Amino acid sequence: MSTTLRQRQTVLTRTVLYGMAILFLAPLVVAVITSIKSPVEITRVLALPTEFYWQNYAAAISRMGRSFLNSIAITVPAVAFSILVGALAGYPLAYMRGSSGKVVYFLLLTGMLVPFQIVQIPLFFLVQRMGLHDTIPGMWMVHTAYAVPFCTFFMRNFFASVPRSMYEAALIDGCGPFLYFWKLLLPASASGLAALAIIQSRAIWNDLLFAITLTASDKARPVTVQIAGFASSLQVEYGPLMAATVISVVPVMAAYLLFQKSFVRGLLGGAGK
Amino acid sequence: MAIQPTRRFSRTDWTHLGFLALPTLLFAVFYIYPVISSIRLSLHSWDGFAPTMRYVGFQNYLSLAQDTRFLGAVRNNVIWVAFMLVVPSGLGLLLAAILDRGIRGERAFRIIFFLPFTIPAVAVAAIWRWMYEPDNGLLTTVLDLVGLGGLAQNWLGDPGVVNYALMGAVAWWTTGFAFLVFFAGLRNVPVECIEAARIEGATPWQVFWKVSFPLLWPSTIIVLGMSAIDAMRLFDVVWATTRGGPAYSSDVLATLTYDLAFGRLEMGRATAVAVYLMAIAAVIIMPYIIYMSRRVQDSEAE
Amino acid sequence: MKASRWLAGMAALAWSGTAALAQDTYEIWHYYAAGSELAGMNALIEAGNAASPDTQFTGVIIPGNVVELRRQLQTAFLSGQPPALYQSSMAYELKTFVDGGRLHPLTDVWSRIKGDEIFPEGVQRVVKVDGVPYGVPFDLSLINNVFYNKAAFEKLGLQPPTDWDSFTAACTALREAGYQPLGNAGGPFWSLYNFYAALVSVVGEDGYYKIARGELGFDSPEFREALDLYRDRMVSCYAENWSGKTWTQTADDVINGDTAMFMMGIWVAAYFEQANFLAGEGFDMFQAPGTAGKSIFQMDVLAVPEGTEGSIAAAEQFIEAAASTEGQAAFAVPKGSLAPNVNVDPSVYGYAGSTFSRQFAEASQANAVLPNLFFLLPTSVGTELGVQIERFAIDPSDTVKEELVTTLEGLRQQALTDNAFIQW
Repeated sequence: MSTTLRQRQTVLTRTVLYGMAILFLAPLVVAVITSIKSPVEITRVLALPTEFYWQNYAAAISRMGRSFLNSIAITVPAVAFSILVGALAGYPLAYMRGSSGKVVYFLLLTGMLVPFQIVQIPLFFLVQRMGLHDTIPGMWMVHTAYAVPFCTFFMRNFFASVPRSMYEAALIDGCGPFLYFWKLLLPASASGLAALAIIQSRAIWNDLLFAITLTASDKARPVTVQIAGFASSLQVEYGPLMAATVISVVPVMAAYLLFQKSFVRGLLGGAGK
Repeated sequence: MAIQPTRRFSRTDWTHLGFLALPTLLFAVFYIYPVISSIRLSLHSWDGFAPTMRYVGFQNYLSLAQDTRFLGAVRNNVIWVAFMLVVPSGLGLLLAAILDRGIRGERAFRIIFFLPFTIPAVAVAAIWRWMYEPDNGLLTTVLDLVGLGGLAQNWLGDPGVVNYALMGAVAWWTTGFAFLVFFAGLRNVPVECIEAARIEGATPWQVFWKVSFPLLWPSTIIVLGMSAIDAMRLFDVVWATTRGGPAYSSDVLATLTYDLAFGRLEMGRATAVAVYLMAIAAVIIMPYIIYMSRRVQDSEAE
Repeated sequence: MKASRWLAGMAALAWSGTAALAQDTYEIWHYYAAGSELAGMNALIEAGNAASPDTQFTGVIIPGNVVELRRQLQTAFLSGQPPALYQSSMAYELKTFVDGGRLHPLTDVWSRIKGDEIFPEGVQRVVKVDGVPYGVPFDLSLINNVFYNKAAFEKLGLQPPTDWDSFTAACTALREAGYQPLGNAGGPFWSLYNFYAALVSVVGEDGYYKIARGELGFDSPEFREALDLYRDRMVSCYAENWSGKTWTQTADDVINGDTAMFMMGIWVAAYFEQANFLAGEGFDMFQAPGTAGKSIFQMDVLAVPEGTEGSIAAAEQFIEAAASTEGQAAFAVPKGSLAPNVNVDPSVYGYAGSTFSRQFAEASQANAVLPNLFFLLPTSVGTELGVQIERFAIDPSDTVKEELVTTLEGLRQQALTDNAFIQW
């Protein structure tokens, strides 16, 4: 291949990349600009603010208050539990032969199709009977339970990308199925686990529906309920809403930056030893 | 539950069963019970507040089958499935493939493409309400600036345009998911394979298509499977942006369910829509996921 | 397995925690989550709590609107844990809950607050089910005012229109001068509220109630005439692309002088003022053609679920404070709505509020106070009416008109069979 063709290719990919970056950033820029506008200036969407209206951030922070801590207390353990449960279920489903594994897999996957809006009544009863209504552990349990299908699906497919020969070799070496899971499979799937951790952090952090049904007070209400609160029946306080959004994105981005460090090329040959 | 200990069990089998116990228990409690109670409710007429409900058999299902609003929502869901399978997934793959080559500023791009995915649905709706403001919004303004003002639309107010406008917002929102999964998958491709191909003189694109992409199959299943499922149960952004309007034109099954249940207090009918949703998804999407999953096993077996 | 043990342990901990916490405060559920709506609600709760220091209420915000609140209430009622008080819409909304046996009759507290004297007749009607009061009004908004940009009117030397002909003349003049004459916004409510002006001018107050009772068909000549009037006089004036805007975006257009008039609930006045666009200076208002001297209103009430003796007593105490002139003003002033209690001194309002207050007093005297039809009709009929009118406003063709008539008439017949209409 000639160098000019290669250069042209590079130029093309760069153009695509920068173009996409602009498309992705533009709405965010509008959001950030709005978050520093006063109510008077917000009536002109695209105009730049003449002053930094920090009151939006003050309003967002005072409104979010304790709910921010609740969100952290809900999200961190719930992410860990849901990944653990997904990995537990994904492992046998990726390795089991025969139809029983497929039936379980199929059943778990159908779970993803249940529209959550409709199961709120039975769910409320369940959680209430367990004494977990309006508690943070109740939220862990519900988020873990409703993550079972997705996390299983995700981990099963990620485990499937680890060559089966490694599994068979391990069993022959006298390494039991549990040790294999713990010592070999999980480390070899680090980037998958990290990706799932990021996705789950985002999903649980941003959950509104379960939070509204299953929490009732400051004891357990997460930050999404407060953010949604900036949009009232008739009015939307756009400035504080966007300020609260900017703030609430930070933890998820932190999780992203933390976990994506595991996205390093695996050395499968090395992991097998 | 589905596993009957009829044949001889090895230690491996028992370990597998043990691993499945907790997930299956959670599933039984939190999915099977609510779904059964929903199916029961769908055979009744109930406003959600009366102490008793009236049994109506399959009447909810039968009347829905002839309801133009319901059929419109089904049609929209099918279009959404097609869209989600192609656009956010393809875009995510493209971006992941470009960034995997190690480009200058890779870190910044990784953040940019993921950022929208972290934003709550209420805020996504508010942001795109500005983007799509038909006269002064960013989209119309930019089109005017580059002389393409004629292409500007009444983005969220024209029944013929609103679905595409919503799709644009959702692509922006969810491409980060496909990007992330593909990127993680690409990084899971063994170094040896890539090095070997490079030594043989393959260009980066050749490496990608000949070496990396075939190994990405599990990630592809995750992305396509989730795209199809998310398209079927799509709710948040549509409800927060248009509530299914104008005049039902952007209705999907989940918004229809919600509106029937709590907007019109027809709980039985609403639940029947939800059951239809599960059934349609089980018929269209499940076989497809199972089929793709089987291909993973087959390719391994070789 | 560690996870489940953890969960069980934490569950036990949490359980003991809740058991130890004795309940001495009550909840009031509402969806006034932001801005002046929240300010009004907080002021009301403060006023209620100040009047009875031994029972305290805390506001619980359900983000969203009446739809989300219903979802919350449903789970709460089914699990036997409803709030002591909640924000309810009027009329049919109350009836649904009364029929379900969920609401406590407010006969006692109604007589204590002299409900039959302090609320206008048209208001009383829509909080009673079969003559028994189930809700106490606290928040009333008129929805038949047209707001206009004063600068635009002054520039063209226009006077506020008084009838359909002067309205049309104003529209034409404004359009010729480059303004969008009349704003509107997408969603099932705003077009419907505009349509009421046309409806009332054709069928009058009696006909309006006849529709609410299911006596006048949607296929009647009168209803069709109202649709034609709406199409010719209002839809033809609408701003371009109105259906793609939210009501605040259209309000912004009025502030920025792109759109000249906007028929909207009086809450838009509070929105204008918050953007420093002031009543009497930047904007002014007039009653929509066909509704001069009348008031069409939207209202929220306090409703009391059946509960313990303690919760009902506390709720009734709160209601007494909320229905007093002080309580009513405490909510209405920050919210920018009207106090339903006629004894509230109009001087508590600013320029806009006192205009609305005067309109409402006149209409009350003339017995021309009309509740929002949306809530008089059975829930599914009212909701469909809103959707169909919006659809007609987007595409005012004869085909759509016929489909609208067929759909709504079908629902009316169904509701008649089910005996679902109320004899207001």
